[in-house]
Amino acid sequence: MSATPKEASPIRAFMAQIWGSIFRHGMPTTDKVAARTALTNFFLHIHPVRVKKSAIRVSYTLCLGGLSFFLFILLTITGLFLMFYYIPSVDQAYQNIKDLQFVATFGLVIRNMHRWAAHGMVITVWLHMARVFYQGAYKPPREFNWAIGTLLLLTTLLLSFSGYLLPWDQLAVWAITVGTNMAKYAPIAGPYTRYLLLGGRTVAQGALIRFYVLHVIALPLIGFLLMVVHFWRVRKDGFTGGL
Amino acid sequence: MALNPYDTPRGRFRARAEASRRQFLLLIGALGATGATIFGGFEVLKFMFPAATTEAPLKFKTDFTFDDLTGGVAGGKAKIGAAVRSITTDRVTVVLDDAGIYAVFLVCTHLGCTPNYVTDVVSGSGVDVSVAEARGVRSGNEKLANGWACPCHGSRYFIDSTNFYGPAPRPMDWVGIEVAPDNYFVIDRGNIVAYRQAGDGTPPDWRLKLDSKKDNGKTYGV
Repeated sequence: MSATPKEASPIRAFMAQIWGSIFRHGMPTTDKVAARTALTNFFLHIHPVRVKKSAIRVSYTLCLGGLSFFLFILLTITGLFLMFYYIPSVDQAYQNIKDLQFVATFGLVIRNMHRWAAHGMVITVWLHMARVFYQGAYKPPREFNWAIGTLLLLTTLLLSFSGYLLPWDQLAVWAITVGTNMAKYAPIAGPYTRYLLLGGRTVAQGALIRFYVLHVIALPLIGFLLMVVHFWRVRKDGFTGGL
Repeated sequence: MALNPYDTPRGRFRARAEASRRQFLLLIGALGATGATIFGGFEVLKFMFPAATTEAPLKFKTDFTFDDLTGGVAGGKAKIGAAVRSITTDRVTVVLDDAGIYAVFLVCTHLGCTPNYVTDVVSGSGVDVSVAEARGVRSGNEKLANGWACPCHGSRYFIDSTNFYGPAPRPMDWVGIEVAPDNYFVIDRGNIVAYRQAGDGTPPDWRLKLDSKKDNGKTYGV
């Protein structure tokens, strides 16, 4: 019997099948293949197949939306690491934060990355909104995406506010006391809103667990869903290019 | 030739009746389901409003006695003169002046922080010291223009909890205080004995009398 030719090696064929099932195209050599590659890959299809050169000038968007999204990803990852040490209990929360800072290896770096990225995201989201406003990019056909964007701004601010309580230090407790008392000033629904937020009448265990659940599950999930719609609409509404 | 029973005058009438009955039942069913969903939604929402909380009870006992505060009573007057004991953890202060004892619930009326006891409350506020000193008659060590200052947004209150500076809209509330048989104070933060609206600077007359250890019942605004 003659040896199996190299090209017909069953292992090579198997590997090629696996490779082909993941990447349906080789390196794009023509515009047509490039377009098909982008369309058939989940991660690439977030980007439009074709973009005007003028639309990707950094000075046009300042990449503020992209920076906001990058910070959101960074916050999700660092937040996940913080969750390994943090217990939302009034007896332990403050000490957990101290442990993160002084006991856990790289804990201080992770905590500070989370903190500064959070401040940064509030700033970049505001600047992104200002950029869109001053360029009139909220006008038709993008009104719907502007509305989604305002909801994303609100989600960002609520994430910032809910994360504020979690270190359970004096600043946290009194900031949330002040913030939820502001909510109380709203007519009719005010006191109910405060009771709903705090799960009681004072900033105590009930408030801590509520803010924790909002901060790590509810609000990021809402934010993520809104982002999916936001990015999709950015693509579908099209790019105008330079001014 | 078989006759379609619905293709007769009587059959057509019957078909119409059945159709409108089905529409009616559908309408009723849809309304019922919508109503049940709305009502059920409100009921389910109650889950998020705790029916009971694990917060500290509003009524509590102090860790100092009547005699600790007054230094004993002689001829209806406290031997110590005047005194202020703040219980920061429970957010209440007990004030002793020449008229008797009262308790203030230390919750800033602006946004709910706990004001601190300060000995020179008018400093830099543009209010004269004499105005603060005129609030209650005090003899002994506590004759200074003392009062309360909120650390959050700088609201200030005279010793009788009347606001005079900063964003606080109205005076802080006075709450009930009584002497238990074992001589410790019992303070009920749920029992407001003096409630003043915005702009009402009247010093309340409510006091726990030193000689009888009973309150004079002069509640204000409640």
